[in-house]
Formats: sequence, structure tokens, C-alpha cells
Amino acid sequence: MLLKIAWRNVWRSRGRSLVVMGAMVVGIWALIFGTGFMNGFLVGYMANIINNGVSNIQVHNPEFKKDFEVQYFITDGHKKAEEMRDWPGVKGTTTRMIVNGMIASPKKAAGVQIRGIDIDNEAIVTNLDSIISEGTYFEGVKRNPIVIGSKLAETLKVKLRSKVVLTFNNADGDITAAAFRIVGIVTSSSLNISQRYAFVRQQDLDKILGMNGQVHEIAVITEPLVEEDIIVEKYRAAYNHDLVESWREIAPELAFMQEMYGSMLYVLMGIIMVALVFGIVNTMLMAVLERFRELGMLMAVGMNKIRVFSMVLIETLYLGIVGAPIGLLVGWLTILYYEGAGVDLSNYSEGLESFGYSSILYPYVQSEAYFQIAIAVMVTALIGAIYPAWKAIKLKPVEALHSI
Amino acid sequence: MSIIKVENVVKTYTETAVPVHALNGVTLNIEKGEFTAIVGPSGCGKTTLLNILGGLDDATSGSVEVANTDLTELKDSQLIDFRLNNIGFVFQAYNLIPVLTNLENVEFIMLLQKRDKKERLARAMDLMQQMGIADKAKQRPSELSGGQQQRVAVARALASKPQFILADEPTANLDSKATSQLLDMMAKMNKDENATFIFATHDQRVMDKARRVVTLEDGVIVSDVTK
Repeated sequence: MLLKIAWRNVWRSRGRSLVVMGAMVVGIWALIFGTGFMNGFLVGYMANIINNGVSNIQVHNPEFKKDFEVQYFITDGHKKAEEMRDWPGVKGTTTRMIVNGMIASPKKAAGVQIRGIDIDNEAIVTNLDSIISEGTYFEGVKRNPIVIGSKLAETLKVKLRSKVVLTFNNADGDITAAAFRIVGIVTSSSLNISQRYAFVRQQDLDKILGMNGQVHEIAVITEPLVEEDIIVEKYRAAYNHDLVESWREIAPELAFMQEMYGSMLYVLMGIIMVALVFGIVNTMLMAVLERFRELGMLMAVGMNKIRVFSMVLIETLYLGIVGAPIGLLVGWLTILYYEGAGVDLSNYSEGLESFGYSSILYPYVQSEAYFQIAIAVMVTALIGAIYPAWKAIKLKPVEALHSI
Repeated sequence: MSIIKVENVVKTYTETAVPVHALNGVTLNIEKGEFTAIVGPSGCGKTTLLNILGGLDDATSGSVEVANTDLTELKDSQLIDFRLNNIGFVFQAYNLIPVLTNLENVEFIMLLQKRDKKERLARAMDLMQQMGIADKAKQRPSELSGGQQQRVAVARALASKPQFILADEPTANLDSKATSQLLDMMAKMNKDENATFIFATHDQRVMDKARRVVTLEDGVIVSDVTK
């Protein structure tokens, strides 16, 4: 009957209870959407960086990363990359020759990182072929085709079929130059791809660089949800002279960002929960003070303090039990819709893309987050009910019965 | 057999600017089955005495023994249990639980006593029948008249099978007809269930119905008449 009384008490002041439930619904929705939005930002950003840039794992000669000297190649790089393709959890590998140099058009010049890529495997590992916005992916030009980013094309004031000259130091340390023809232009939110890299075929670069087929980088993309560290350890065990790193080591700012987003979510959750606590304290305190005489009567006729305390807590819990599922449902539906449709941020795309974000954001919330939010709301509701419940049991029946 | 023994009880309220002496050495014995009215003008100490007898307030000095228990020895939590099992309350403003039906209001007190559902329902219905409000069982208190609500309150007070019932101005909000009906029913319960009723009142009709009238003035018993 205590449950029945508590339930009916909730609906005594229907408007007030609905306002608190509404606050819970909005709070939970905001929390879910905020979480989804931030996850969408993070996942989108990280996926962009990992899948189109750094990959899950990279292998180098330990000396190469110090100053990108071309002579520091990976011994038997092609063989190792091919061997890794058969490892469980590995989706694809590709090899790259990398050299820093200059790219010049008839009008402008810029510093670039020239990447001699294995075009078929690069497409698997970084989806480079899928972000071609103009032209083709190394098709249509037989001799020295080159793919550059849209921002670099703007800087150089070049377009498709324009000729550019790459200048760099070859394996012997001599400055060498070669002409390339632009066959494709890529558009990406990654600044590296759109502005700093120039992609050429590995065999074309090898001829000029004189590497005899040796490569500087192996990039590995893993299957979804595979822990990179297992593959990193396996590689280390097999080839301990090479430097093998997961994306967390290659781009520590990403790992930091992941951690920071996690903390921000807790802060967001904390702010919403604190607001909710105040709302609940206010409502339940009003409910208790309004029923001062009734509570006094209950204690006078023999309802003990534990029962009175429980009754107030149960009333609050009911507010949460009604409000939380609605909030979760509304939040879930919102995420479900935007997960597919995406949130169009194209109005801010220029700013976002300069930071490596995509202009379409796909909110995403892990299923366990809904559970965590529901628990957090219930705990918050109970915390908010403690003071009013304490106030209720502190009243003196004789005073309460004679209160107006 | 005395179920209430009050000896030389003094109650002084010191929270006020000037101490108020509500009771100045009250001594009173009440036997099982009495139908007693404590009367007197406003401020004479009737309600204070009732509150002390009901364990809702404590005496400044003196001894209060109710159902062979010294109330001054009990802690708050023990007093709540004591009230639940030994004392029935009827209040001037009825004080029913508005969100429960009338039947549930009567049943509620037995629920606190942890009696089983069958017994609760049977006794609650029986009491409501005796009080002439069985047909109002499924309604809420707000749907009843003042007299009917007070009858539910009396049924509730009797439900726990208390040693005695304390009724503080139970007829103050009722018209003559409702008062008369209520008093008749209480008298019937006093007879049928051997329930002890102690009223604090200044209603002449209650005094007329009571078999014993204790008159208080300025916190002192000035007369004690058994008819």
C-alpha cells in the first residue's frame, strides 16, 4: 500500500509532477544527444584520421622518423606487408616510399611530402580512390601521373592535366626533379591529404629516387573492433628491428582527444544531473511541506520513520521511473534518426574541415550508455529525495497536526 | 482496571517569550470501557493532556502510565510502535489520506500492524458497516460529507484494536445531525467493542453523551463527574 500511496501522491499535484518529469525527459534527451553529438565528432574525426591518414598501425625504420632521410628504408618491406595481410584481424596493408620535397607549378611552389604509393593496396587501406573529387585515380595518364589535394591545387593554381615539377633529394643525396601530370584531385577534411601530400605511383618514384623497390612505410588497417596492440606485439616479436606503432603512438593527440571527450561527457552528465537534483529537491520539498499535517497524522497513528522516509524516496523514484524511459526513448529515437541522416553542419564546414572534422556529423551512442544514463538519473533522483525525506521524518507529529 | 494513570502531570511550554503552564499537576485514572469527555474553555489544557496521553507530547514532570507502560521511558521509535498498537486517534479535521479510498484508509492502520490482507479487509468492511458507511468503501474521502469522513476516521481509529481512542474535538466541524449520528455510533462501538473513548471537547452534545466528564480549568482538574 506504501507503493500505492506513493504512486497516487505523485499524481496529487499533476502539473508539478509533469514539470519534473518533463525536466527529466529534457535532461536525459540532452544528455543522450550531447553524448551522441560528441561521439559523432570524435568517431568521425578519428575515423577520418585513421582510415584516410595514419591507419591503425605503421611500420618504419627506427631512424627514418627522426629526419625522414630516404636511405632509412624498411628491409624487405614488401614481403613483410604481404605477410601481414594474412594475419587475423588485418584488413589490409600497403607500402609507401616517402620523401619530402617541393612541388612547383608555372605560377607557384609549395613544400610537400611526396608519397610513392601502391595504388591498389592504398585504396584498400586509406580509401584514397574514394575521395577523388576531380579526375581519376591514376588512370588516363601513362607517364608520371600525380594526385594532389584540392587545397594544394588552389595554392599552386593548377587544375587537371596541369604539369607540376617535383624536386627532392634522391637516395644518393643529389637533388633531382621530375615532371608529373595531375590526373586526380582529392578533397578531404584532412589537411595532410588536401594540402601537404602529393601522391604518385611507387614505381614512378622509385625510378627517380633510386630505392630499388625498398619502402619507407608500411601502413596497416585492421578489421573493426580489433585491438591494434595485439598485432603490434606480434610484429615486434617477428621483426624487432623495425619501429612499429599503433595510431595511439603515431597520433597521441588522438588518444588524448579520446580521453578528453570521455571526461567532457562526465562533466556534461554532472551539470545536467546537478540541475536535476535541484529540481527534484525543490519539488519534493514542496510536496513534503504541503503534506506536513498529513505526514504528522501518519506518524501520529503509527507510521514509523523508515516508512515515511521510504515513501518520499519511492515517490521520487516514480518520477524517475516515468520520466527516464520517456527521455531515453526520445533520445534513442533522435539518435536513430540522425545516425542515418546525419547532422548537416555544412554552414560551418570550412571551419570544421580546417580542424579535420567532416561537415556531416553522425551522432552515435553505445547501447551501454543508455543504461548508464538511466542508472545515473535514478541515483540522482534518489540523492535529490534525501533532503526532503529527511525533512519529513524530522517533523514532530504534535506540531504538524496543529499546523495550518 | 485503569488503562491510563496520570499522576501530578505538569506541562510548561518554554519556547514562548513567557513560559506557558498548560497543565499544573493533573492526576487522572481512566478505566477500560470508559466514555469520557475532558472539557473546559479554550486554552485550559484539554488538547495538551490528550497529546500527552497519546504519546505525541511529553510532560515536563509527573508520570504518565498508559496500558501498563511508562510513556516517559519510551524513545521516539518505540512511541510510534506503541501508538500504533495501543492508541486510536480521531482528529478534528478528520485527517484521512486523500489518495486512498475510504476502505483503504481504514485498512491502512492494520497494514502498518502487518496483519494479513484477508483479516484487514474483513475488519475494515465490518467496521465500515458498523459505522454505516459500507456503501462508501470505494470512494475517496473528498467524496464524503464531514460527518461521513469522521465516521471513516473513527473506523480507522478502531481498526487497530487499540486500548483506547483519543478524539480531539471530533464534532467541531459537524452539524447537529452529523454530530448526533457520530456520537450514537461511537457509543455503540463503546458498548459493542468495549472501546474506550476519551474526548477533548467543549461541545455540550458530547458532554451530554459522555458517562464521565472531567473539567479542566487553567491546567487543573476542577471537577470529575461520573454519571
